[in-house]
Amino acid sequence: MKLSPKKALTRPVTRYGLLALLVIVWELSGRFNLVDQSFLPSFSETIATTVVMFQKSFLFTHTMVSLTRVMIGLCLAVVSGTILSYLLGRVLPSVGWTLEPLFRVFGLINPYCLFPLLVVFFGLGEAPKILILAWVALWPVFFSSLAGLKDIDPALLQLARSMGASKIQIFYKVIIPATAPSIFNGARIGVEMAFFILIAAEMTGATAGLGWIVHNAGALYQVSRIYASGLIIVLLGFTINRFLIFVRDGLFFWGRASLSGRDSLLPQNRTRISPLTLKAVTLTVAVVIGLGIYQIIMAEAKLNDPTVIPEYRVWTE
Amino acid sequence: MSTFKQESIFTNYFYKFGSLVLFIIVWQLACSIKLAPETFVASPLVIVKTFLKWAGNGFLVKHSLISLTRAFYGFILAVAVGVPLGFMLGGWFKNFESLISPLLRFLGQFNPFALFSVFMLLFGLGEFSKVAMIFWVSLWPILYNASLGVKSVEPLHIKLARSMGLTRISILWRIVIPSSAAFLFSGLRQASATAFFMLIPAEMLGASRGLGWMIINAQINYQIPQLYTGTALIVGFGLLIDTLFKFLEAKVVTWRQDTGL
Repeated sequence: MKLSPKKALTRPVTRYGLLALLVIVWELSGRFNLVDQSFLPSFSETIATTVVMFQKSFLFTHTMVSLTRVMIGLCLAVVSGTILSYLLGRVLPSVGWTLEPLFRVFGLINPYCLFPLLVVFFGLGEAPKILILAWVALWPVFFSSLAGLKDIDPALLQLARSMGASKIQIFYKVIIPATAPSIFNGARIGVEMAFFILIAAEMTGATAGLGWIVHNAGALYQVSRIYASGLIIVLLGFTINRFLIFVRDGLFFWGRASLSGRDSLLPQNRTRISPLTLKAVTLTVAVVIGLGIYQIIMAEAKLNDPTVIPEYRVWTE
Repeated sequence: MSTFKQESIFTNYFYKFGSLVLFIIVWQLACSIKLAPETFVASPLVIVKTFLKWAGNGFLVKHSLISLTRAFYGFILAVAVGVPLGFMLGGWFKNFESLISPLLRFLGQFNPFALFSVFMLLFGLGEFSKVAMIFWVSLWPILYNASLGVKSVEPLHIKLARSMGLTRISILWRIVIPSSAAFLFSGLRQASATAFFMLIPAEMLGASRGLGWMIINAQINYQIPQLYTGTALIVGFGLLIDTLFKFLEAKVVTWRQDTGL
């Protein structure tokens, strides 16, 4: 899509103009004491706090902890949701048909109600938090994968069969490519929900993570820290979403422009991802998960280490 | 709907509730023969007993009513803001859309729980911070689906109406709203589900009444029967809300069978 020179000039303005205006108003209202500073610190102060939190190096730890929890939870959800839906949708359709209403009820169980039970069964460590995220993300993945299985064009299956493809070949060449976009769509809804839920879960029962930082800041009435960590959460959520859109447009470039509600305001352009980019993306994700696990272990160790200054845990100025 | 699939009413009901009933029976049996430890798992009978006790002393009505009121106010506010805004974004004001939609896209990804602390700071511990959060989470599905609905209106229909001399108001009323109703309803359904879903953690974090508080209270005091009963209650309400919106959708959007969403 080529833009005319004039449009190329005005586009960033229309795109980010209002956002920039909002930030400027925020900053000025702080500068001129239009609003009470103890409720709404100015933008520059929020940024300054964020920088200080990064310098004390604990914001990075908590961000990585949260990010890793989401990623592991999502991976668990995608793997188990896909296997479950294939089992119930293709291998044992009659069982799936009978069990589907039950799964709908399961999907309605609020993860918060499960959290105490998971703590009882799996202890206080990382497991219940990750499992709760997996639970949240599992149902969107499962149901949209099931819908994708039902939507497979029967002609494609017949064609493959008439060409003498074995069951395994049909599975690899027809079923997986046909359902992958639906699974991915489910995963996107799932990861969004999981990220929301994670922050709340970290607020109520965790000793690390971004939600914990917000909660801690609220408890200690450090207002600028509430805004700073809120900003990081927002940016992280935004990054995750854009990343998933990027991957989707690259991997499922053949899919019709599916207009799920959320993307109705997004421009649609899909081109195939190059193998090199794909490798780079996979590597980045692996590195982030590895780094995150290391950070989780570090956070745990620091928490249990009595010699570490309490500043690490409860950060005060 | 299923005109091609001739099923007796019995099979239909069996399909709908069979697996659920079976699940509850197995659960009860597992508890009765002490396969599931009593300290972790409450049996369905215990849940029913607790439920009846709550229903008897007014506890149930009080907390449910509070939660539902919060969800209702937040949802109504979101409808009041989201539907008109979505319609405007859907293409009636092109410049307005290109100006505001990047901002809205960004705002729509705000994590409600990061905002919750801010809401508590700004609006205090009262009802309004919870209502504001419900408003925030239910606004986006409504807004997006409303704008999508307007965008999906068949341009030919509008041209036809215009060539027949309809005013803008009657085009909106006779063409745009009916064509986008299916999307609008699916947005409303999504929003209602999200609102109720997010209400529970919001009440856990900063409330002293309501269903979420009930759960966290049971958790803190380690009251396993209460915890299970609360969970069952929340599932029940979720089902009820979903059924209600499906029913409304079927009653109102009679001309369209499948929304595709």
